[in-house]
Amino acid sequence: MDSISYYLQTVLNGILAGCIYALFAMGLTLIYGVLNFVNFAHGELIMWGAYFLFLFMGEPFGLPLYAAIFPALALTGCLGLAMDYSVFRPIRRANRLTLLIAAMGLSVFLRNAAQFFWGAEVRTYGLEVTAGMRFFGLYITAPQMAIIAVTLLCVAAVYLLFFKSRLGKSMRALSDNLDLARISGIDTKRAILAAWVISAVLAAVGGILLALDTNLSPEMGVINLIKAFAATLIGGVGNLWGALLGGMLIGLAENLGVLFISPGYKDAVAFVIMVIILLARPYVIIGERSD
Amino acid sequence: MKKLALLVAVIAVLAFAAAPSARAAETIKIGAAFALSGSIAVYGEGFKKCIDLAVEEINAKGGIKGKKIEIVYEDNKSNPKDCVTAVRKLITVDKVPVIFGPAGSSNFMATAPVAQENKVVLISAQGAAVGLTKAGEYIFRVFPSDTLQGPHLAKLAMSKGYKKVPVMYVNNDWGLGLKNAFVDAYKKMGGTVTDIIAYDEKKTDYRTELLRASKGNPPAIVNLTYINEGAVQFKQAFEMGIKTQWLCGSAARAPKMVELAGKAAEGVIGTYPSVPQNTKQYQAFKEAYKKKYGDDKIPIFGDYNYDMVYVTARAIERGGYTADGIRKALPQAAKGFKGVTGDKTFDSERSPKFAEYGIWVVKDGKIEDYKK
Repeated sequence: MDSISYYLQTVLNGILAGCIYALFAMGLTLIYGVLNFVNFAHGELIMWGAYFLFLFMGEPFGLPLYAAIFPALALTGCLGLAMDYSVFRPIRRANRLTLLIAAMGLSVFLRNAAQFFWGAEVRTYGLEVTAGMRFFGLYITAPQMAIIAVTLLCVAAVYLLFFKSRLGKSMRALSDNLDLARISGIDTKRAILAAWVISAVLAAVGGILLALDTNLSPEMGVINLIKAFAATLIGGVGNLWGALLGGMLIGLAENLGVLFISPGYKDAVAFVIMVIILLARPYVIIGERSD
Repeated sequence: MKKLALLVAVIAVLAFAAAPSARAAETIKIGAAFALSGSIAVYGEGFKKCIDLAVEEINAKGGIKGKKIEIVYEDNKSNPKDCVTAVRKLITVDKVPVIFGPAGSSNFMATAPVAQENKVVLISAQGAAVGLTKAGEYIFRVFPSDTLQGPHLAKLAMSKGYKKVPVMYVNNDWGLGLKNAFVDAYKKMGGTVTDIIAYDEKKTDYRTELLRASKGNPPAIVNLTYINEGAVQFKQAFEMGIKTQWLCGSAARAPKMVELAGKAAEGVIGTYPSVPQNTKQYQAFKEAYKKKYGDDKIPIFGDYNYDMVYVTARAIERGGYTADGIRKALPQAAKGFKGVTGDKTFDSERSPKFAEYGIWVVKDGKIEDYKK
């Protein structure tokens, strides 16, 4: 491999990682925007989405991949709704710390539940490993092309939904000011439910793509969530474009970083970026929003 | 007066409540701080199966001097912090004099000083890190140290004609210890290490690390990796068209790794402390395992865990059921004891004195012994 394609391959690796982070970050930022808290159980939606696909592809369903995706996404959407109904709705008006702790507790519960059903061992969908295709000296596999294509599709779909539909408008109104939205006669309940479904489906899409590209494990969500969180912070919390941009930036920064510093510090790149932003904008986790 | 009656009643109730635990003391309790959840629970579940098998066998033959062995499992959640919590709980609440320690050298080494301070025996059945037992005289292992493995891996690289290699390793006590042992021995044999790449555990994406290791298309890359990490890495290397001879240590040698990586793991070779499988001890173990669990896929390090139970039981029988008794009796109990994994005699570092190393290779989706 010559040195130009060596760097280009690294950039591609960064984009792939970035796509996954961006999908996670978009869901995270959406819930933050609408409900004004960081859903630390988002990682478990990612993981359960991937495991739901595993469920439908295995016995007794035995569906092929393309058919199993739809019930898996639907079930993850339902899980999102169930999370809201059972945990977050009763404490909708509670302060942020309560919501944060509830989300963390839910995260641990869902992770252990997955481990109870599927065990702690790492699994795969059992698809054949294939060598990547070669374009201009770069290797890319089918799941990786899917990652890029699906991310673009999701971004487009979310854009249309958010800026071109009534539902999206009501979600944005909610995000700006909950009480004002309510007074203006916006169906806030419907908008909140929609936000949960979209956030959960985005998480499932990301989780499935990640699992297709690597493996499934009960820890897969929580490990990547911190990166997604950093991505939302970079992009400005509640900002969808920001989430996309933040995800890409972190993916690229940590991969390009590996070429120059010891890869042992790969995670540090994301954390350093996150810490700097938290220092600059601490209200994201602890304080009130400026509005 | 009424108060006094109440007090008597309370004491009576407490005394009754305490009675079952007095009965329970008639079993021989051994603690086990194992990874039952978290990232290396893959290993923990397999260890537990083999420990349970050995305990069942010993109990079926009448236990230790008529007392049955009971293992108190405590989940260590696969991270050093919770390992310490688990070991502390076993020491202070369950009050066991001997504990089977956590897998993962970093995890084990975090708990060793705690056991040493509390004068409780701690044994490892899979810790290979060089300084694993250095915390003190209460810390033992039935698994050979990497001080012995490093030179074997270096010899393997040289014998295949690889005089220049980059080295990748998982950034923890085990990876670092083996990396140092390998690099020292390899340089002494005249080899050159072109790059050293440390990486973190539990990642899902190692593409750029792999890319860096493959810079200049080296004919071989030494990768001291684990099961999950190895599977992800070989898969991603395969997808990126990296063609090289992977040379690994013992921790990646698991059917699970091959199952996860599929054909991408084909041709990977590595060293491991080999257990001769033609001994009658091994055959009996394999047979018993198959009978209890219905398959003959012996979990990685399962045989060492099995031996650990027997060595410990022998020490309790000789030295009595106290930490000091076990500690003093362990060397004699193990001396010349031929377990499933061979002669378990301890050296002065409380590690196995003898170890054979073999070479493993992935061939047609199976792990086999490498034949030249």
